[in-house]
Amino acid sequence: MILMRDRRPEGLTVGIPQGLLYHRYSVLWSAFFKGLGITPVYSGPTSRKVLEEGAGVEVDETCLSAKIYMGHVKALIGRCDYIFVPRVDTFGHFRDMCVRFQALYDQCRNLFRSTGQKFLTYNVDGEFGITEEMAFLELGQSLGFSKGEVKKAYAAAKKEEQRAWREKLKAQEPLLKAGGTKILLSGHSYVLDDPYVGKPITDFLRSIDVTAIRADVVNRELALKKSVELSPTCKWEVSRELLGGIALYRDQVDGIILVSAFPCGPDAMVNELLTRKLKDIPLLNLVLDAQSGAAGVETRLESFVDIIRLKKGAL
Amino acid sequence: MPLKLERIKEGQRVIHGAFPRYAEYNCAMKYMAEHGFHNVKFVMPPPLTKRTEEIGARYSPDYVCTPFKTLLGSLIEALEAGADTLVMVHGYCRLGYYGELMEQILRDQGYEFDFINLSEYDTWKKRDWLKVIRRIDPKLNIPKFVQAARETIRMMEHLDEVTSDYYQICGFDATGGEVRRAYRRFLAALYTADSGEDIEGAYKRVKQDFQTIPLNKPDRPLQVGILGEFYTVMDAFSNLHLEQKLADMGVEVHRWMNMTHHLLHYGEVKNLAPKIRDQCEYTMGPTSTANIWYAKACAEHGYDGLIHVKSANCTPEIDIMPVLQNISADYKIPTLYLTYDSQTSDVGLMTRLEAFYDMIETRKRALS
Ligand code: SF4
Ligand code: SF4
Repeated sequence: MILMRDRRPEGLTVGIPQGLLYHRYSVLWSAFFKGLGITPVYSGPTSRKVLEEGAGVEVDETCLSAKIYMGHVKALIGRCDYIFVPRVDTFGHFRDMCVRFQALYDQCRNLFRSTGQKFLTYNVDGEFGITEEMAFLELGQSLGFSKGEVKKAYAAAKKEEQRAWREKLKAQEPLLKAGGTKILLSGHSYVLDDPYVGKPITDFLRSIDVTAIRADVVNRELALKKSVELSPTCKWEVSRELLGGIALYRDQVDGIILVSAFPCGPDAMVNELLTRKLKDIPLLNLVLDAQSGAAGVETRLESFVDIIRLKKGAL
Repeated sequence: MPLKLERIKEGQRVIHGAFPRYAEYNCAMKYMAEHGFHNVKFVMPPPLTKRTEEIGARYSPDYVCTPFKTLLGSLIEALEAGADTLVMVHGYCRLGYYGELMEQILRDQGYEFDFINLSEYDTWKKRDWLKVIRRIDPKLNIPKFVQAARETIRMMEHLDEVTSDYYQICGFDATGGEVRRAYRRFLAALYTADSGEDIEGAYKRVKQDFQTIPLNKPDRPLQVGILGEFYTVMDAFSNLHLEQKLADMGVEVHRWMNMTHHLLHYGEVKNLAPKIRDQCEYTMGPTSTANIWYAKACAEHGYDGLIHVKSANCTPEIDIMPVLQNISADYKIPTLYLTYDSQTSDVGLMTRLEAFYDMIETRKRALS
């Protein structure tokens, strides 16, 4: 261990691509690296250019979110010692991630092989009993930090993450009690929180006086339990959180919008099931791809909201 | 086999069970269902056709992977053929969710049936399958079941071995069709097999045939390795008879991916991962390790080309493409990437195959 400590590089920089799981773990990752004295380097917000750059390197048939992600990775090439790309297989039984997250790290290493860029990962794999904490331990130790240092940094980062999450949950409570038109948005955080893809949706809804509730901002344990009411054999962690969020919030909203990045593997199936099962509430399926123009999306949102308001007699 | 109805006790229902078409493996499913259980009659879904694909696609979500659509179509055709109980398997990737969505779609269409969805039984424990078996046949005769399972496994192993032999030699048949006829006879024998002896007999006969039919094969024919997504790469209908087309051009066609290798004996080849450390550090998807290893092995063997087969929207196979592209560049082995959906046309495929053939053939001549 002492030897490993000696190897610890001074002034290490780690690049964090601001796509995919970044939107779920931004607080945890940033706090963890900073806790170890590592400077995170961020790729910056998604833009048309980021998407185009990503689409240029990624396999054509992949999903919009992965294309955006590769644009972020590309923006970091040569700007840091390592680019951090996590690998998450499963958190446990019926708690899988989309298979894309198994491949992401090795995919990046292959796509950007010619640049000589070094990548860094952590590997969560519940099927082999590898938890998030163990994954972080391995990551920190591989960089030359001692077990004690990494444990401390992880514990502190986890605390910060939990605090931030509690605040997020709390911030949604008053929205649920608000008057006027309320719509539940259900989609992956990296779609809805993406400044280029998802944020225009929330902004537009706000501009037409709709309160947007997030299905994924929900007590996660409870949501996982509730998800089986809508879909007993769904095994994707994030889809189950969304299913649970829908089950828990559906009575408090006027409509639901399922937002998906084309052609998302899990969404293609889960959203079809939801469309077949949720017959008693207005539902809009919004599939976003690189070509979706803002105008087209706004028109669809507007007419959906009109229908809801008409039904409620508010128009 | 004619169901031995006399053995079914008074008041006990006969299950008319079906499983969707999957390459030529339905002969094994039929054998297992009818020999392992005393109360099951296997309903053979009709062979896959354009119609199967069309009805499947009609009720499926647009951008689900193509096998979902084909299997759904086949289940509908099984119901039309009189099945009252459908079985869907569990598996990695989206396959684990096929069952639930298929059941919902079929019920919405108004079909009535019993549905055995293996996903519902999955608890990550080894003995999950026992519960399924008990549900099908509460009075299961265990020795008989074990015997049937053993014979079924032999059938699948023979089928895979003979199929592999077949595509390596049938392009060089000097008799104008004997190899093909021998393979067809073998398949027919498996579909009608009623005992372990039937299975072994069919196997011995076809092996003998393959050894005696005169071939016209050069010392070093064009060799192509086929790899890719589990369903489409094995199912000849779904890949538009890719292997037959190549063989007919005079190519020795190799494919490692089959049930024997990837399901029955995968434990024995688990040491594949260390062989591809240079290509990837982790498992990238359900079939990624085997496919990457095989691509590399074919390249190292000096094969003339690789063909990567997948259905449209197949996430894990899309994700290994950058690795395959690097292997292709490092070993200078031409690789053709094929994506199949219900719109893929025979003519389009033929054009791409011919171009690929010309390329590897010219290359081979230039290199030798
Ligand atoms: S869940 Fe969907 S959007 Fe996310 S990585 Fe997988 S395919 Fe892409
Ligand atoms: S491996 Fe490909 S075809 Fe099979 S379930 Fe997954 S995405 Fe679909």
